[in-house]
Amino acid sequence: MRNPSETSPKARPEAPEGGPAGTVPAAASVPRPRAPRETVVPSPPAAPPGTVRLAAGGLSVLVSRGPLLAGVALTAVLVAVVAVCLSVGDVAVAPLDALRAAVLGTGSPRDLLVVTELRMPRVEAGVAVGAALGAAGCLMQTLSGNRLATPDTVGLNNGATAFAVAGVVAGPTSVLPPATALTGAATAAALTLALSGGVGQRGYRFLVVGLGVGAVFGAATNLILSRAEIDAANAAFAWTVGTLNGRSQPAVTVLEVGLLVCLPLAVVLARGLNALRFSDAVATVLGERVRPLRVAVLLTSVVCAGLAVAVAGPVGMIALAAPEAARRLTGPGPVPVLTSALAGAVLTLSADLVGRTVMAPLEIPVGLVTAVVGGPYLLWLLLTTRTRRTP
Amino acid sequence: MTFRNVLLRGLLPAAGLLAVTAVAGLLVGAGDVGPARAAAVLLGGDDPDARFTVLHLRLPRTAVGIAVGAALGVAGAVLQATARNPLAEPGLLGVSAGASFAVVLAIVLGASATTVGPYVAVLGAAVGCLLALGAARLRGAGDDPVRLVLAGAAFSGMVGAASSVLLLVNQRASDEIRFWTVGSVVGRGTEELLAVLPVLLVGVAAAVAVSPALSALTLGDDVATGLGHRPHRVRAVAVASVALLVGGATAVAGPVAFVGLVVPFAARALVGPDLRRLLAVSVLLGPSVVLLADVVSRLVVRPYEMPLGVMTALFGAPVLVAVVRSSRLPAL
Repeated sequence: MRNPSETSPKARPEAPEGGPAGTVPAAASVPRPRAPRETVVPSPPAAPPGTVRLAAGGLSVLVSRGPLLAGVALTAVLVAVVAVCLSVGDVAVAPLDALRAAVLGTGSPRDLLVVTELRMPRVEAGVAVGAALGAAGCLMQTLSGNRLATPDTVGLNNGATAFAVAGVVAGPTSVLPPATALTGAATAAALTLALSGGVGQRGYRFLVVGLGVGAVFGAATNLILSRAEIDAANAAFAWTVGTLNGRSQPAVTVLEVGLLVCLPLAVVLARGLNALRFSDAVATVLGERVRPLRVAVLLTSVVCAGLAVAVAGPVGMIALAAPEAARRLTGPGPVPVLTSALAGAVLTLSADLVGRTVMAPLEIPVGLVTAVVGGPYLLWLLLTTRTRRTP
Repeated sequence: MTFRNVLLRGLLPAAGLLAVTAVAGLLVGAGDVGPARAAAVLLGGDDPDARFTVLHLRLPRTAVGIAVGAALGVAGAVLQATARNPLAEPGLLGVSAGASFAVVLAIVLGASATTVGPYVAVLGAAVGCLLALGAARLRGAGDDPVRLVLAGAAFSGMVGAASSVLLLVNQRASDEIRFWTVGSVVGRGTEELLAVLPVLLVGVAAAVAVSPALSALTLGDDVATGLGHRPHRVRAVAVASVALLVGGATAVAGPVAFVGLVVPFAARALVGPDLRRLLAVSVLLGPSVVLLADVVSRLVVRPYEMPLGVMTALFGAPVLVAVVRSSRLPAL
């Protein structure tokens, strides 16, 4: 049995197969998707208020209108930002030419070289890192019922960084950063979880314990760097600030594979997360197995965050801001995992663009840009949100 | 608790620890002057290498460690009482970050690392302290000790990133300051110490002077006014004291976090929550903690040394977790 908010069978916001078939103009003014209790595929293809029915052949799915629109809008923005990222730099390329070169592989040899060889890998890394951080942040925020709980605030990023730096300094390149970063993120997650006595039990305690765990791993990173040979330390330094410059292609590939697995999984898990908004008892009655669900959600976000750090190092604030933006755009309803991923990609690329251009030819690492720009926002969130005293 | 108890349970153990760590600071090192040779110098031997190491390297460093530790310990105790928050710590609340940002800014604007005085750091610390206490007095956020710490961490992160950007842009500043931004007492000598000593002494004096009124303030502003104190003036003196202490300490040693958390935590366990006793014990415990961290930092990665700030984070984070986990945060 599924929970009531799910009686409308949802699919991912931008389900690719088929085009939008039937909409319900009459009910479009109703903002909230409140599906009637028995939506056993009504025989005339009418979608419940606030949703859109996508049909292809005999199959059809209902998609909430908010996430769909937000997804389409964010995709458009993402394409625009990618075009700008591909076109801006020492050698300017017209945005449309850049897109054509990237997608179709046509254009002047110079454009092709600049776009596909030089800028495309960086944009690719930025999109993947941003999407992973956005999705990880969304999952963790929902899991802990606290929108400040993100991989960077609970020490995951620091743990992943410490292990990645240790792996690089230790020398043999046989150990890939993704493996070490993933181990680090998992270790930090386990430590924070164990030391704070569970997610969401005592409001902000989870976060401050995460802060402590993060401080230890940060100190460990410095310790490793202070011991390392100067060359190894320089090689590892990139991981301590968060940058998209010259990232290793294998790590990006691993991240992309991870995203292919994690994002669909996250969408499936997000359905169950809807039920976790209530107390555990209610969620259990609604048919969710609470503990396995929690573990699965946590693991998914650890994998996303760890692989992202393996590519770019700790890029803060994306995991915090992207889900927030996604929720604003989609409105109330299901947990917006995919929208968060899209928003994360847009934010990361934009921050990198800013870092690349404002002080050109000097380049500010994307992690510093997000910290400086996102800091005031985080402060504002912290100081204005009222603590909800939930039992 | 009687004075005799305070003496036996708080002051004497703290003084003993300080003596032990100070001697260890002179005897132990990362280089090849071992405890035996160092002890011989202290007893009047004339081994020139050892003599130079102990008297010109370790002695000033130990003195700096004592000054920095005392300042940070007292600052932590005062800040915790003012914010009425057992987690309020100069490093965690962003006071140290404000001080270091001010120094970085001054150097980028043209000062040199050797001429920039402690007052720039004091100014930065004052701004950081005012922001932190302002946040602590916000309704909603300030009632929640843990949330205040998160806000401080966010502020520190932001200011730290801004410092990094400045250093990135300005290579000269970066070279001058690189050694300093992690928190360290290496290579700091009598000269730097004498420059900040007046600042620190004034800070401690202000802390001692304001402590009775600050204790009264924990009963609430109305009661304190009824007892004849002026809350605004008391808080202003407290802010000034914290700014002087943290700014001075940061000017010598860079940002050293967690000392202001660990020291009052331990002192409270020894002599209870009374602020005057806390201050007395913290003045002795602070240097002990810093010296201990410094000695350990020389030993764990021999023949290298580890920055002091890293070591205190390794010590302090578990204490932070312990304080947060304690079923009821100690009331202040």
